[in-house]
Amino acid sequence: MKKHPLTIGLLAVTCMVAAVALAGCPPQEQQAVNDFSIDHEPMPTDADDGTIEIIGSTTLLPISTVWAETYHAANPHVQLNVSGGGSGNGIKAVIDNTTDIGQSSRPITSNEIDLARANNVEAIEHIVGHDGIAPIVHPDNPVVSLSVEQLSDIYAGEVTLWSEVGVPGMSNDRIVVFARDSASGTYESWKELIIQMDGTDKDRDYSPASLKKGSNRDVRQSVADTPSGIGYIGLGYIDDSISTVAVSPAGGRDPVEATVENVRNGSFPASRAMYYYTNGEPTGIVAGFIEWALGSEGQALVAEQGFVPLQ
Amino acid sequence: MLSKRITRVSEWIIERFIQIAGILGIVLVLVIFFFLLRNALPMFHERTIAEVLTGTRWSPTHGEGHFGMAPLILGSLYVTAGALALSIPLGLATAIFIAEIAPRRVREILKPMVEMLAAIPSVVFGFIGMTIVGPWIAANFDAIQVGQFAALGSLMLCFMALPTIVSICEDAFHNVPREIFNSSLALGATRWQTIRGAVIPAARSGVIAAFLLGLGRAIGETMTVLMVTGNAQVMPEGLEGFIRPVRTMTATIAAEMGETPHGSLHFHSLFTIGLILFVITFSVNTIADIIIRRSEKDIA
Repeated sequence: MKKHPLTIGLLAVTCMVAAVALAGCPPQEQQAVNDFSIDHEPMPTDADDGTIEIIGSTTLLPISTVWAETYHAANPHVQLNVSGGGSGNGIKAVIDNTTDIGQSSRPITSNEIDLARANNVEAIEHIVGHDGIAPIVHPDNPVVSLSVEQLSDIYAGEVTLWSEVGVPGMSNDRIVVFARDSASGTYESWKELIIQMDGTDKDRDYSPASLKKGSNRDVRQSVADTPSGIGYIGLGYIDDSISTVAVSPAGGRDPVEATVENVRNGSFPASRAMYYYTNGEPTGIVAGFIEWALGSEGQALVAEQGFVPLQ
Repeated sequence: MLSKRITRVSEWIIERFIQIAGILGIVLVLVIFFFLLRNALPMFHERTIAEVLTGTRWSPTHGEGHFGMAPLILGSLYVTAGALALSIPLGLATAIFIAEIAPRRVREILKPMVEMLAAIPSVVFGFIGMTIVGPWIAANFDAIQVGQFAALGSLMLCFMALPTIVSICEDAFHNVPREIFNSSLALGATRWQTIRGAVIPAARSGVIAAFLLGLGRAIGETMTVLMVTGNAQVMPEGLEGFIRPVRTMTATIAAEMGETPHGSLHFHSLFTIGLILFVITFSVNTIADIIIRRSEKDIA
């Protein structure tokens, strides 16, 4: 059977055009990010059926996900559905009483507390861990501290030279900026806390020229290899191959070192507490899960994910 | 005559099996294409094609999302063009040496060795580039500030495209009838003149096909470029773009797919990138296939 290759090619192209026509219908919308059960029914408002719904901040996603996996493995009768959507959505779900736990990387606002009261919901706050991100540079870099404003300018691409942030005499003056890729919660945390200066400039974004790395280790390795580089990593990843930079909070205050203590007491600007919200004091399996998460086993997993545990 | 009947039945089964296997290949390509298309098209309910293809800002998680793919497409083109610029001369020279110059024993060792390069996993090339070659280049050349840039990706991809290029070029030279070679020598041409003036022109379709298949190999490579090109979604500019970080289409999908919510615009945009890649590699491979068949006909 000898056919001209062109005929075959044309045939394939024709089939593809047909496929284009058929594909006109959009796929079904899928919302869930991480499912630990095959249950796709509307969310239950109580946990009596053995399923805990957790929704909200993407920063907390890796922690909640690993908690859910570990807890479910040890307690197979408890199902956990973890999904993202952002802190606002998490708190809103608590107010509307459509979730068991709302996860948030910011505290609830007074406005939201009023909304919840109007709905007969009392939002109870549980701090489940802390998030601290340290700016790092090459050990040869003489810089000791930078202000939030300077870091914001560097990451937004407004400032591109070390001499512009008061660091003269670099062998290579142009700043090489390392960041995490957008799939990471740290990417968002750094953007909100530093680049947008705790949300005061919502339009600011990462400069496209920043190099996106897949993990804390990648960023650390890249900064250690690049004398004019700057990056940021979770506190758990700091070692001798790089030096950390103290950060002056916005408004020209004294620089604060990136230490676990300063993250826990909230004085380090690139840090924040991570919250779970529940409607009233948790009971039953939700109470059991939160108690486990705040205990030593749960908190060890927090540290493993590169965040700062409570104790 | 039972044994004859058994033979006939088993032949029939084997024939059908081979036929189904062949059809399956075509079906799979179509299914993959359909799948990509189905997941990519919702993107264009909310963004225009021009906006996506020519936009220069890729920041899918900022505000409403910015989905300009021009920096990614250009990034892929830079890395691939660089890889071809390195691997074509190198591959062609290696193939000429193996086919026409090397003594038989050298050829028998060299060709399998070059083909062995294809067996090295791409992550290994990425690892070597990221931890050894990149930092070394950055430390020794002042113009290159960071050991992660477009040309480093090209260099690594060059080694990965070489086996394809060398192998197919060598086959093409090998298929050139000896008469052509001998007649040229008989007319008084030197060996080099013969190779340049007679053998390469006679094998040109095969050589071009080898380049195209090498291109297909380079543009679709993911792991290596993700590790060594720096992943900065800037528009590369001029020749300087080669020594600056870039981000390719493949690296974008690999880096961002993991945590992208299903059904979001970002999710669909990554499938759109996949679709663009599919169309590019499909076209390149189809053209290469047509050229190879033509070259077979030329020589026959």
